[in-house]
Amino acid sequence: MAGVGFRRWAQTLTKGRGVGISALLSGARAASGASKGSLPGPYPTTPAERAAAAKKYNLRVEDYEPYPDNGQGFGDYPKLPDRSQHERDPWYQWDHPDLRRNWGEPMHWNFDMYIRNRVDTSPTPVSWNSMCKQLFGFIGFMLFMFYIGEVFPAYQPVAPKQYPYNNLYLERGGDPEKQPEEVKNYEI
Amino acid sequence: MADYKEAPLATRPRTLDPNDYFNLSQEKRRADEERAALRANLKRQYLTQLNNPSRTELIEDPALTRWVYARANPFPHFRPTFKTSLLGIVFGVVPLVTLYYIFKTDRDRKEAQIKAGTRDRKFNLAY
Repeated sequence: MAGVGFRRWAQTLTKGRGVGISALLSGARAASGASKGSLPGPYPTTPAERAAAAKKYNLRVEDYEPYPDNGQGFGDYPKLPDRSQHERDPWYQWDHPDLRRNWGEPMHWNFDMYIRNRVDTSPTPVSWNSMCKQLFGFIGFMLFMFYIGEVFPAYQPVAPKQYPYNNLYLERGGDPEKQPEEVKNYEI
Repeated sequence: MADYKEAPLATRPRTLDPNDYFNLSQEKRRADEERAALRANLKRQYLTQLNNPSRTELIEDPALTRWVYARANPFPHFRPTFKTSLLGIVFGVVPLVTLYYIFKTDRDRKEAQIKAGTRDRKFNLAY
């Protein structure tokens, strides 16, 4: 009875009826909900464990490949091919059409990355070499032209603004009695 | 298209995949049929629940439950190895320590400049 767990005690006591208490004491549970062996477990070591894990995840025993046991926390979760949901048949009647997934199908570890709003691994229409050449060619050409523009600038000629009245001698607080030096901003 | 090279991490189009034309065998066919049988079984279970007129609750997907549970509970299967320790240090310790040192030295330098009077402080906090 001690192994029943706090959760079930809390549930029975809040139900408030006698039936709950007797079911709790005898250890009987409903047959609905997830069963004990259906959750992911540790890395499978024996072939029997591998077969049981494959059955649990609805995979063929030959198809079931767990992640390597390197302590990164995967357990017995299957390693499915790294394919995005973009690649799945758009015309098949999926159970969840926006996710292109059927009910009960094992989900990739990074499923939320491979949905159709995010990472796309489908084949590109243009080959990789062509894409690289186009992108780096354009960037290289633009950088080269900007460099040429730095070396040979092309703009209207400008000069600092020239002020009359001896460079605004009086307006700049010059002495009215003193005669300022003559400033000539032109050449004839 | 003979020189089509797919992007790294992307797939090759199925029409250019030689395995689709050359390496077909009975075993492959049998494997495909076994997978189709598993898929059909799951489909049957789902459609039975879906089309049940007296169903009032949501259809629970055990594959989804397993995925969520696996993603939320990696720690029981965690083991400190060289790789995991390295990842932990690179992503957990190194940014913390480097940012501390960068900010500390920058601020100490600014403080020394202010004390020496060489810093150009244009913006007053109070007038």
